[in-house]
Amino acid sequence: MATSRNPAQKRYIARFMPTMAVYVVCIFTVSWVFNRYEPTGPVAWALALLPALPLLAVIAIMGLYLREEGDEFVRNILVESMLWGVGLTLAIMTVWGFLEMYAETPRLPAFWAFPIFCFGMGVAQPFIKRRYR
Amino acid sequence: MKNRLKVLRAERDWSQADLADRLEVSRQTINALETGKYDPSLPLAFKIARLFEQPIESIFDDGQA
Repeated sequence: MATSRNPAQKRYIARFMPTMAVYVVCIFTVSWVFNRYEPTGPVAWALALLPALPLLAVIAIMGLYLREEGDEFVRNILVESMLWGVGLTLAIMTVWGFLEMYAETPRLPAFWAFPIFCFGMGVAQPFIKRRYR
Repeated sequence: MKNRLKVLRAERDWSQADLADRLEVSRQTINALETGKYDPSLPLAFKIARLFEQPIESIFDDGQA
């Protein structure tokens, strides 16, 4: 997209990038600690939750951006693409859930919900934009 | 919804980017408005009406009149 970023989008990027950097550090650190020390009990719980925290922050950052975006059309496109993301996530989780339950397919970790949502959102966006051209 | 945005803009010799700046929206928003594929919210419609100094109903046509 050739259009320049508005202040809300700049703020979004400024919040999103460092949070994802923290996520990457967390995920590497935590997997290293688990490989090396094999922690158990409350320590394992706390460590396992560590990479989830920056992703929870990303959800909040997305919400903040939605609230701060002053261009209603841009916001509209984002909301529509988020709905596609939600739809894709629910569809995959539902279908896979039943496959797991009855057909003994490999387990799909619940962790994948967020990446699937983001993938659906990202793929839907250009199609939604094209509809308004 | 049909509208006269493109005509009004042309009368003033503004580009889509000019109009976008004046309304504090993106150029893609102006484009979506002009093609009639996106209907603005009431606040944005008022803003457009004030900018062109015309009543909303003389800019937008919902086909009911």
